[in-house]
Amino acid sequence: MTDVQTAPAPGGEETKPRRRINLGFDRFSGIYVWAVLVIIFSLWIPDLFLNWDNFKTILTFQAISTIVALGLIVPVAAGAFDLTIAGTLTVSAVFTAWALLDHRGVVFACGGALIVGVIIGLANSLVVVKFKVDSFIGTLGMSSILAAVAYMISGGGQLVLPEAGYYPFLDFARQEWFGISASVYYAGALALLIWWILEYTPGGRYLYAVGGNPVAARLAGVKVGRIIMLSFIASAVVCSFAGIVYLAQNANGAPDSGANYLLPAFSAVFLGATQIRPGRVNVLGTIVAILLLATGVTGLQLAGAPTYVTQLFNGAALIIAMALAARTARRRG
Amino acid sequence: MTTALSVRNATKIFGAQVALNDVSIDVEPGEVRALVGQNGCGKSTLIKILAGFHAPEPGTEVTVGGEPLPFEDPVSSEAIGLRFVHQDLGLVGNLDAVDNMAMGQGYITNGVKTIRWRKERKHAREALANLGYDINVRIPVAGLQMSERTAVAIARAMSDRGSEVKMLILDEPTANLPNAEAQRLYKLVRRVADSGVAVLFVSHHFDEVFEMADSVTVLRDGKHIVTRPVEGLTEEELIELVVGRKLQEHNKDAADAREHGPEILKITDVAGGSVAKLDLEVHRGEVVGVAGITGSGREAVAGLVFGGMERGGEVTVDGKVLPQNRPDISIERGVALVPAERHANASLIDQTLRENITLVDPGRHMTMGILRRRPERADVRIWLDKLTVKPAGQTEYTMAQLSGGNQQKVILARWLRQQPEVLIMDEPTQGVDVGAKADIHKLVDEAAAMGTAVLVCSTDHEELVRVCDRVVIMRRGRVAEILRGNEITADNITAATIGRDANEPTEPAA
Repeated sequence: MTDVQTAPAPGGEETKPRRRINLGFDRFSGIYVWAVLVIIFSLWIPDLFLNWDNFKTILTFQAISTIVALGLIVPVAAGAFDLTIAGTLTVSAVFTAWALLDHRGVVFACGGALIVGVIIGLANSLVVVKFKVDSFIGTLGMSSILAAVAYMISGGGQLVLPEAGYYPFLDFARQEWFGISASVYYAGALALLIWWILEYTPGGRYLYAVGGNPVAARLAGVKVGRIIMLSFIASAVVCSFAGIVYLAQNANGAPDSGANYLLPAFSAVFLGATQIRPGRVNVLGTIVAILLLATGVTGLQLAGAPTYVTQLFNGAALIIAMALAARTARRRG
Repeated sequence: MTTALSVRNATKIFGAQVALNDVSIDVEPGEVRALVGQNGCGKSTLIKILAGFHAPEPGTEVTVGGEPLPFEDPVSSEAIGLRFVHQDLGLVGNLDAVDNMAMGQGYITNGVKTIRWRKERKHAREALANLGYDINVRIPVAGLQMSERTAVAIARAMSDRGSEVKMLILDEPTANLPNAEAQRLYKLVRRVADSGVAVLFVSHHFDEVFEMADSVTVLRDGKHIVTRPVEGLTEEELIELVVGRKLQEHNKDAADAREHGPEILKITDVAGGSVAKLDLEVHRGEVVGVAGITGSGREAVAGLVFGGMERGGEVTVDGKVLPQNRPDISIERGVALVPAERHANASLIDQTLRENITLVDPGRHMTMGILRRRPERADVRIWLDKLTVKPAGQTEYTMAQLSGGNQQKVILARWLRQQPEVLIMDEPTQGVDVGAKADIHKLVDEAAAMGTAVLVCSTDHEELVRVCDRVVIMRRGRVAEILRGNEITADNITAATIGRDANEPTEPAA
């Protein structure tokens, strides 16, 4: 797109000046920053950074974060926070591990975990839609309940799958196609699915309408409560799926399995909302944000930074993302 | 006896505009004075000078009980004995009467600053009893009736912990009250006056002038027109004094009258919000207006009929019932609502015009599970052209990039695209420039010509004259009058909305 100067609107009627379309430093800034990071690390630590194994590690390691973030996009698009994403992952991983150790079969274990996801989504919507508790507080409370549930199922310890007995299940995430872990394909497929829903179905329009102005959406015939409910169910089922993938990758489920996935997902989704389609959470932006965050963190770690740099980086990214979003909103005001 | 309030040569100029022009009035202790006039006549300016918010021009003199008002700040106005109750009352809804009354005047405390609750409550109960109210002072005031809340606000204003009260000034005291509660308030004001305090109240509501006031002061264009006793004054005379001319008898062209089709919208016994009872039928091709001052029920009609809020009674379209609280079903039955305050109720401000227009039915251009952007854009562009939204043809602009009038056209396009059987509009041209307003009125004509039944709720009386075949006047939650044909003039509508109900009791025995 070219640079368009503010032009008087035809017909002489006064309109607000149109937003300037520039070379995309705004919408695609994440990609530029990512490219800069890649160049820096390539020059700084070429041996460690620029190799196929490292690339694979980044992708595999980020697959679960991506799936969780994709799940989170849906309720956030509808204007609701879902802080149970990590708890859902944990409960799902622990439940699946318990079912497998109890010899209930892979179908029961995985199917059960997904059903647990549906139940969590329903519980969240009961709290937020029916009881009208603010989604931030409501799902915060729910996440604590889920932590208790995970503890009950696991008895507090780790449920370790002895690798000899469960190879077919572990293959679910560990097998590779064209040298890339299966979990990356799952994340990709989900991204495609959610992108299609958000961009190309009426459901996506309704989600963004509810997120944009629930009163207007309701008066335009959108069933606001139902849309929020479906968004919670979607995120919980997706996060349950993430829990299954997590278990297959790590062969162990514990009450703290999901702990490290909450903040990165929020960082990615909100940083993503400043990208591609500024001002609204979107799938492509989220993926750009995840790549950016993962590259930054991995690069720094390879260069010898201590492990806490991950948390530092994610926290800072979340704050910067929100500040950028606020700035965008002001400029559009 | 010293005059309670004496205003001499009050003048206030804002920039090039003279808001108040050499106004002099006197109010005696125990007198209830109404202050009336159209918007912009200067009455708010006068009140704000008394309250200490505005400093008047030099030469203005105000005395309260003989002492000069310093025109400094609200605190000094209060210290000299003036008390104000504003229209919103300024109460905190989730606090009880005791806490609300303590705001501003402070709590009764003992030596170590502990609140003496029992004494505080007794004090609150006594203050309310003096006004003739027996209210539970320990429940949040949000749970009280409107007139009881007003009483709490007045009791707070009347507190003499700071200084002796010489004058109580009320802004639109019964604007939001149903009739029975208004009657209660009239008695309260009378009690206040009987205690020797002067009362001045601003009003748009002529029945409260006749029920409550001893005398009335009319302001027009910043000037003092007349001050006279209410006794012997007729409503027509008062309206003429306020408007400044004889009400015109305007003849609406008989050829304007549209042919109406069969009845389609039927509203029976509808109640909710500020509406006590509404019955109305609207025919295909007919445009019916709803007028009324704020609090009359007008502001709730659109939402109630559409089913956007809880209500009693029944609304049917073509014999099919519209359930309450189910906008989706109303839309399915062919009803459209262009709500008031589009920012809050209609716009998706950061989303494109395309998304805003197709929101009601985004699936229209879906093939094989995918929304097709190109036909959607073409569809939206047709509507943008039809409604002459400027800049033309920009389906991907966000709402925020448009002017108010164009935003309103986009909302109208959203609904016209549905080809509704019944189109309900609430303040359709609020915050809209003149050109867009004319366009919107033309679109209403066109919709009616196509057989749509249109219901327009509006405070813009010229607008109602322009588009309506029939205008329903709401007062105190009910239909008070219906104007048809050449009765529909802006003056008639104004007079009817502020008029007094003939069938309401005029003098409740005290």
